[in-house]
Amino acid sequence: MLLIIRLLAIVIISGLMSSLIYAADVNEIIKKSNLASYYAGDDGRAQARMIIVDANGNKQMRLFTILRKDQADLGDQDMLVFFSRPTDVKGTVFRVTKKMTSDDDRWLYLPALDLVKRISAGDKRTSFVGAHFYYEDVSGRNPAEDNFSLIKETPEHYVIKATPKDANSVEYAYYHVTIDKQNYIPMQVQYFNPSDVAIRELKVLKLENIQGFPTVLHAKMTRLTDGSYTEMQFRGVKYNIGLPDSIFSERSLRTPPKAWLK
Amino acid sequence: MLRPIVIAIAIFLNCLIIPSSAQAETPTWQSAAAVDDWSEESWDDDNWGEEQHSPWQVTGFIEAAYGQFLQDNIVSSTQSLTELRGRINVDYSHSVFQLTAKGDVLFDNVINDNQWQTRELNIAFSPVNNLDIKAGRQVLTWGTGDYVFLNDLFAKDWQSFFSGRDDQYLKAPSDSIKATWYGQNLSIALVWTPDFTPDNFITGERFSFYSLNDLAQVAPAQYFQVDQTTGSQWSSRIATTINSVEYAIYGYRGYWPTPQGMKMADNTSLLPYFPKLNSWGASARMPLANGLFNVEYANYLSLEDSNGSNPLIANSQHRFLLGYETELFKNFTASGQFYLEHTQDHQAYVNSLPMMELAVEQNRQVVTLRFTYRAMQQRLQWSLFNFYSPTDEDGYLKASVDYRYSDRWSVALGSNIFYGEQAHTFFAQHEQNTNAWLRITAQF
Repeated sequence: MLLIIRLLAIVIISGLMSSLIYAADVNEIIKKSNLASYYAGDDGRAQARMIIVDANGNKQMRLFTILRKDQADLGDQDMLVFFSRPTDVKGTVFRVTKKMTSDDDRWLYLPALDLVKRISAGDKRTSFVGAHFYYEDVSGRNPAEDNFSLIKETPEHYVIKATPKDANSVEYAYYHVTIDKQNYIPMQVQYFNPSDVAIRELKVLKLENIQGFPTVLHAKMTRLTDGSYTEMQFRGVKYNIGLPDSIFSERSLRTPPKAWLK
Repeated sequence: MLRPIVIAIAIFLNCLIIPSSAQAETPTWQSAAAVDDWSEESWDDDNWGEEQHSPWQVTGFIEAAYGQFLQDNIVSSTQSLTELRGRINVDYSHSVFQLTAKGDVLFDNVINDNQWQTRELNIAFSPVNNLDIKAGRQVLTWGTGDYVFLNDLFAKDWQSFFSGRDDQYLKAPSDSIKATWYGQNLSIALVWTPDFTPDNFITGERFSFYSLNDLAQVAPAQYFQVDQTTGSQWSSRIATTINSVEYAIYGYRGYWPTPQGMKMADNTSLLPYFPKLNSWGASARMPLANGLFNVEYANYLSLEDSNGSNPLIANSQHRFLLGYETELFKNFTASGQFYLEHTQDHQAYVNSLPMMELAVEQNRQVVTLRFTYRAMQQRLQWSLFNFYSPTDEDGYLKASVDYRYSDRWSVALGSNIFYGEQAHTFFAQHEQNTNAWLRITAQF
């Protein structure tokens, strides 16, 4: 009897300990993953294009150049997005100051009116220029908004379940993220509704090492409920190009910094 | 109402032939052809539409628009909008300067006129580090209001606004030189418009209005004579951002942008003209309570009537604006504004009127509400904007729905509804101008 209790105790304690280790691990994994996904280098530039395909197969395209600069790793970030296609949004510039401790500042420049429009921080989970990607998918979700638990580990991947701290702030109940153990890039993210049905899925289709940073060059976001999707491709990716702080200002909206966009 | 729409669409489709043939002939149209490289076949290629190799870019659109008055109007046309517009944008990008040319070919059936309108024709460059110059015809905007302007005294096109043309046409271009100096978190902009550019205001040509002289609704159109003003305008703004709050102060030296004065012409009759106006003001815009808050003030100094004693010239004013915008739920944005216009020396102004009942209150107030709902992955946008003045008991409702069928085709449908208790007040005088409109646009 005593032996059984002792054995049970050992099982329980070791179980507790392993879950404690997991808890420590999982936040570390998320941190590394967030760093790899959104903070590669101190700054960077990429050209991106998106193809947006609706449930009927109708297609739309978007072409833009992104400039990004980190104030600190896992900290605040400045971002500029310059649109060149389609022709009716050519010259439109989107500016974000991503902040860890308060709402992001966001602006949109509309060249036809010479108007610098400020956008309320509000719901970050709305479509980014009509795509299946949300603003938050492009700039990165603040890890402080979710609770994480490791649900599976394979030789290549960690599978982590993320549950939002504020369930009303998002349209899903939880998501599963599959993170590559080698480079910490989230290769797949599946969003589930409260009935445990997957409703939305992100898949990385192409990954390359650029200047030592694992870089997603092709990804696809699918709305599983109707099969509509957006594919996003990147090219001309460069890191540590030495972007000055001064270009992340209203000036760049009206006068794009050509030298940094080439 | 349907038949003219069908005709407009038919003319519109015919016109589509023009750009496609031009495309084949001119090498600079390559960029437009690059759109086709974006077809699904090339998606897997590395062909991204290599327009970056050419410093030239040519884009544009063709638009057919139709609008009809919903009430009897004394203007000559029963249509508020019947036009075919071809827009061409040519950009030339050089490492040290940027050339922009934008123009419209407009077949305007409301006023039976075909014309070329140069929308923009300017050069932008930086002669020294920190300084940007833009010279030539350009569109200028600043201030924090939504369809309400205090410190933005750049030319507006109210005829376009009333007729349901695209929002970009609310701003009329001016031939100006803009110099902006950028310092550490500070910018100073100075705009010089050598030839005063007034608003494209309501003259009776497209829309009727209430005349305080005739005490009746009028549509004088070409008989609306305005004494021309020769003089220049200066506009300036100093802006900075501190802790996410954007602050700006403004100055203006020029003329009222609409003919707010009357003067003797030929010793026989009174002619409207643009009296001198100076103004200064300030604004702030900041995130607040999960939304955006803005506040703006402007002091209009009507120089030719500084003590309000001249009954023929508009008095000085204080203008004040408060606004708040927030996303109420996903894809649904709501915003509200409170606007106050305080007329100085109000008693002198009241005494100048033929009838006291026609007087605008000393503190004219306007409340605006805007609701925007985006659906179908932002391809469908519903928009409702309402001006309501509790002091004038009148208002103006702009409703529209915009559908983006593809990157090329879009269609928009809307209305401009004016309402009010009395015939003469700011919005109610346009009750006859109430209209509905439809626009079909093809981008290239």
